[in-house]
Amino acid sequence: MKPIVAALLVALAGLSAASLALGDVTIPADELVLAIVNPAAAAQDTLMIVLELRLPRALLALLVGMALAVAGTIAQAVMRNPLAEPGILGINAGAALAAMLLIVALPGASPALLPWASFAGAGAMAAAIYALSWRGGTSSLRIILIGIGLSSLAGAATTLLTAFGEIRDVQRAMIWLAGSVYDADWRKVRLLALWLSGPLVLAWLGARELDLVRFDDDTARGLGQRVDLLRALTILLCTLISGAAVAAAGLIGFVGLIAPHLARRLVGPAHSRLMPVAALTGGALVMAADLLGRTVIAPAQLPAGLVTALIGAPFLGYLLWGRRHVPA
Amino acid sequence: MSDNRIIAGSGPALPAPVGDRGRAVALIALCCLLALVAAWSVTLGTARFPFSRVLGAVFAFDGSREHLVIASIRLPRLLAGLLAGGGLAVAGAIVQAVTGNPLASPGLLGINAGAAFAVVIAIAAAGAGSGDVHVWYAFAGAAAAAATVYALGSAGRSGGTPLRLVLAGAVLAGFLTSLTTAILIFDQGTLDAVRLWTAGSLSGRSMAQVAAIAPYTFVGLAAATLSRRHITTLSLGTDIARSVGQSPLVWRGLSVGIVVVLAGGAVALAGPIGFVGLVVPHIARFCVGADYRWIIPFSALGGALLLVLADTAGRMFFGSQSFPAGVTMALIGGPFFLWLARYRAGGRP
Repeated sequence: MKPIVAALLVALAGLSAASLALGDVTIPADELVLAIVNPAAAAQDTLMIVLELRLPRALLALLVGMALAVAGTIAQAVMRNPLAEPGILGINAGAALAAMLLIVALPGASPALLPWASFAGAGAMAAAIYALSWRGGTSSLRIILIGIGLSSLAGAATTLLTAFGEIRDVQRAMIWLAGSVYDADWRKVRLLALWLSGPLVLAWLGARELDLVRFDDDTARGLGQRVDLLRALTILLCTLISGAAVAAAGLIGFVGLIAPHLARRLVGPAHSRLMPVAALTGGALVMAADLLGRTVIAPAQLPAGLVTALIGAPFLGYLLWGRRHVPA
Repeated sequence: MSDNRIIAGSGPALPAPVGDRGRAVALIALCCLLALVAAWSVTLGTARFPFSRVLGAVFAFDGSREHLVIASIRLPRLLAGLLAGGGLAVAGAIVQAVTGNPLASPGLLGINAGAAFAVVIAIAAAGAGSGDVHVWYAFAGAAAAAATVYALGSAGRSGGTPLRLVLAGAVLAGFLTSLTTAILIFDQGTLDAVRLWTAGSLSGRSMAQVAAIAPYTFVGLAAATLSRRHITTLSLGTDIARSVGQSPLVWRGLSVGIVVVLAGGAVALAGPIGFVGLVVPHIARFCVGADYRWIIPFSALGGALLLVLADTAGRMFFGSQSFPAGVTMALIGGPFFLWLARYRAGGRP
């Protein structure tokens, strides 16, 4: 595991350096080092670009990617479904509906409300799914099915707004929904880091429980696990983590789905190793996506949420293809 | 991952479903209901016609304005709804059987994403052509995407597993959807042209489109009905299927072929509607148990019924001929599905 973590950390460091240096104004390496090591001696505008614009943006991408990857890992373990991702708890559907309502139906509302509205939408949706699937206990299958049902109801409302809203508002909403970290600032980064620190540590501490719950309910219960309590807690954790990520950056899809699969192929299924590796992979993925999205077709910008799929999908496809002769 | 195989969801916890006789009676009743709703749907619209007029337009067409409206607007719309609804629901049932995953739907094979991508590319590159052309772009995109997913999920000596198929599908669908969104974000004109199609709508279908797709849907439905025993076996998982003498590889490939024909045609006719293919098979499973010999015919009728009902309700209550059926369908089917899932799914009470 150590070489893999080391390799991921090196990749992250390289990505950070590239994120700080590249953009509309390219900062040479020596100035970049100077701006970080000795800010007092650096040029004012370099300092501004590196520390106020690019650094928070890179950190926000890292945090969002880590959060989504960990939430996806938890969801896949608890739902026992390889297709599970935070969206299965209705988080994406709820956030999308709330955002659509705010942008298309209430065009006068302040954009500053967007994160709060989307977090509220995500939380309300997850709570509704859990409440509806509780009948003296829960089961993964029931949560999945209720999630499908409620998400498609919310999706119908979103589609309605898409189909009949003012086209300019719809396009604005689509850009937000596509997920982007373009409006990152230090306040956002600090808030998200503070918010995520507790849940992420808790998730890692619960790694052994996640190893157990991956078996079926009866086995886990036979080994002394309180399955319903664990399911409730992990769903709460998942909502807190990915709801915050969605509120900060919109719907960055795909990371929550594939980062755990990539990590599983690197270090195997034990969660104490899987979780940190998935987090680093997710962080690197979103960071790389944001970097590519804002440099490749500059001055136009592609939202990071789209680029994650555009680079993540071929990579996972390559892994699948490379292992095609390995049985099961 | 044992308790997630969807067959377990309708296992012992369910009250023993009615016997085969009861199921047959229910199937006939569903047929009659579908016929009634279809007849009712043709008479409704901006102008109401008595049903005798509809019969007249079909059997004794006299070229009058009313007959023209019925023959060139109402009937194609109804037939498109029947074909697309039935096709998508059966395709969904088969995908769920093959992958054993309750989250699976035809969209998982990249069908919706491929069709949407092809249509958006066509509109963005060549301008908004006629609907007749969209049908073929959508069909071709869906088939190409599904073929890629199948190749990626089944290549190699091990012949692939349901898990790999599912992952390959998620990968390709995510990739194509992102490309489509990237195009739409920068191209407002195309967004405006396709957003109604994306929502799933039956308005403006022509008899030529229906006639072009119908053969595919009929072949697909016939193939699904003929191989329903094998699909049931497949749904028990690779190990059991192999141990009762089935070749999972052959039948998985064949099933994916059926799904492409059915769902590709349906998406070409009605746009990428997600709900039918995902939810109707679950509803059928709740009602008749885990046996695909019954799930497939019930899904076909149920999907057709739901889509026609949704389209008619949209026209009736929202007064708009182009109200997307995809939305009304979720509004009608969603609560029903939630009720079923709450009371009939899952191991414990």
